[in-house]
Amino acid sequence: MMASQDQNEETVVIIGSGAGGGTLAYELTAKGIPVVVLEAGPYLRNEDYVNNEWEAFNQMAWLDPRTTSGSWRIARDFPNLPAWIVKAVGGTTTHWSGATPRFKAHEFATRSVYGRVEGANLLDWPLTLAELEPYYDRAERAMGSTHVHGRPPLPANNNYKVFAAGAERIGYKHYATGPYATNAEEYDGRPASIQDGFNFQGDKNRSKWSTLVREIPRAESTGLLDLRPLSQAVQITHDSSGRADAVLYLDENGTLHRQAARVVIVACNAIETPRLLLLSATAAFPDGLANSSGQVGRNYMRHTTGSVYAAFDKPVRMYRGETMAGVIADESRHDPDRGFVGGYFLETLSLGPAFLAAFVDPGSWGPDYTRLLDAYAQTAGLWIVGEDMPQESNRVTLNTTVKDENGLPVPNVHFDDHPNDAAMREHAYAQAELLYEAVGALSAHRTPPYPSTHNLGTARMSERPEDGVVDRWGRAHDVPNLFIGDGSVFTTGAAANPTLTIVALAIRQAERIADQLRTREL
Amino acid sequence: MVFPAKYPSLNATELTDEARSVLIRVIRVAFPHESFPDGPYERTADKILDEAQESTWFRVQLTQGLLSLGQLAGGDFRDLPDEQALRVLRRVESTDFFGFIRRTTVLNLYDDEEVWETLGYEGPSFDKGGYVHRGFDDLDWLPEPRIDYLPGEVLEEIAPGAPVPTSWTITTQAVPGNQPGATSAQGREARK
Ligand SMILES: Cc1cc2nc3c(=O)[nH]c(=O)nc-3n(C[C@H](O)[C@H](O)[C@H](O)COP(=O)(O)OP(=O)(O)OC[C@H]3O[C@@H](n4cnc5c(N)ncnc54)[C@H](O)[C@@H]3O)c2cc1C
Repeated sequence: MMASQDQNEETVVIIGSGAGGGTLAYELTAKGIPVVVLEAGPYLRNEDYVNNEWEAFNQMAWLDPRTTSGSWRIARDFPNLPAWIVKAVGGTTTHWSGATPRFKAHEFATRSVYGRVEGANLLDWPLTLAELEPYYDRAERAMGSTHVHGRPPLPANNNYKVFAAGAERIGYKHYATGPYATNAEEYDGRPASIQDGFNFQGDKNRSKWSTLVREIPRAESTGLLDLRPLSQAVQITHDSSGRADAVLYLDENGTLHRQAARVVIVACNAIETPRLLLLSATAAFPDGLANSSGQVGRNYMRHTTGSVYAAFDKPVRMYRGETMAGVIADESRHDPDRGFVGGYFLETLSLGPAFLAAFVDPGSWGPDYTRLLDAYAQTAGLWIVGEDMPQESNRVTLNTTVKDENGLPVPNVHFDDHPNDAAMREHAYAQAELLYEAVGALSAHRTPPYPSTHNLGTARMSERPEDGVVDRWGRAHDVPNLFIGDGSVFTTGAAANPTLTIVALAIRQAERIADQLRTREL
Repeated sequence: MVFPAKYPSLNATELTDEARSVLIRVIRVAFPHESFPDGPYERTADKILDEAQESTWFRVQLTQGLLSLGQLAGGDFRDLPDEQALRVLRRVESTDFFGFIRRTTVLNLYDDEEVWETLGYEGPSFDKGGYVHRGFDDLDWLPEPRIDYLPGEVLEEIAPGAPVPTSWTITTQAVPGNQPGATSAQGREARK
């Protein structure tokens, strides 16, 4: 039951239908508030997905051109693919794996706890773990995270067996098959995982949480959701008092539409969100909407990542089963004695031969390269995900010389590793090698970071308007009825994978918006 | 790429059957897999030739690049033993034509069912019911691991040696990264 709203009716407009936008759409419609969701991508369903890495990637990924600069290896290996994110209803939650650790208390206060870190633009969140905990609970229940709220753990798959045995042998204690937002048993109307190994490809079985399988259909069933796929927002306009009053968007034919708005919530993921704010510059907001701080697009974070693939003399078959149902938390603590601040998780990861070939060591060829693939069936893999330092110069800007098919400037993503990021990655690589050697690996290969799957920080939360873009509710300091509802608001990135926190913040934000609509503060 | 005019053949711009067979050899040498049959290499070569047809510039570069290998080989590149052929390819590694071959090979050679079979990858699995009853956990050369966190084992979130401000109380979590523990009341006062 899909609602349809008049384009002249001032309504709540959500831009993007991923982790943040999809959650907001459900939480608001569930409270009786009609919303329009503008989603740039198509409405793909689980039955449309394919068990093939490149085919699925071409079907789901955001492939509009982007450019890169900076010293990160992505700028050399994948100059037009800085990020690996989805353009479709459900956003990147259709592609994500499902690891859902929480932030730790001190990760909301890194400027205080880590102290001054040269070159880093650290800032405490205007928010504490205690305040977010009730929303973490709700997010975990919504997403069906394993290991919490009575949800059973997933069983050990082959890749996890290697990972866990290695962890045990090098003395790690805090490892398990989750928390992971995929059903180990039937839950919330969705079946248990069949361990098909294609969760990055959309998960045809619907065992994995995504806003496509949960929030969007539930919002639709309220009769209050007007979801418009293939509708790409290109500008947020404002009235003479500086309030957002409409969103301009292009439909699939390139025709421009205007949707009047009472409240605008931007949840386009941390590259398109700042791009949209920058595209919305006017005489009143010359540096972009909500950018009096100059922080829009800055402090771009992507987590310190990397992978290690280890070859054994016995079969592993890592591709069978849930991709990332394995987490080691021992290194997620803050222990500056390791030579860096912040921490990291190790998580199981598996790619098929097609993706492994493309990502294992971009640019390389020859016998050393082909040996990595020859060992495919005997290979185990893991991923490093740790806190990276916000830096003002790591930044999303408009590239005024390269245009997309609609003639709009594409976003440029500039990134340099901070020395802390490099030191953490080095430590993590070495630990991962030890882990695999402890269970008899013949060799272990250090794979550099993939195009960014976690994109954060480009419209960050701050107590003071001069330090960031939004307040503790995700509301723009400069524009009273403009909210940001995605990972762009992260003041710092923490070690944890971000989506649980994005969803928790979105649930909290929806509550706030609903209250303020009721009291007419919005 | 600049080619000296004294090799008139380098001005050729059309891909011949001979060029195709040189290309297949190039891919075999650059991406050697003893276990792979010829089929995947041939299909990859044809894919490269197809893509080259879409752009005059690629086609010219590829044609000339493949011919230049003969010059570097001092004869027919196809006649070189593996070691020497590899050395020739190392010399052209940074050329556009080799980069084009490398990229296209990486994207296509391993997206091939025959290759998957050879590598021991089983391809699409959803239609077969996934692996839940087909060996997702059949690894038997390591002990069965636990899948849950150890009860009562608490992750120390901040190392004892870390300098932290006195306003900060160190807290712990019972389930790492997730379940709030008994002591999770926060260090900093919640802001009003
Ligand atoms: C392979 C992979 C694995 C991952 N695994 C994990 C994991 O295990 N754990 C975890 O926590 N996270 C994981 N992530 C990250 C996770 O997917 C993201 O953190 C999350 O989806 C971000 O939510 P979002 O709402 O910010 O953006 P998205 O989910 O990306 O949604 C943004 C949406 O906005 C749309 N949009 C963008 N611009 C416009 C516009 N101008 N107009 C209209 N619509 C627009 C996009 O099309 C998209 O649908 C993974 C990501 C990938 C790619």
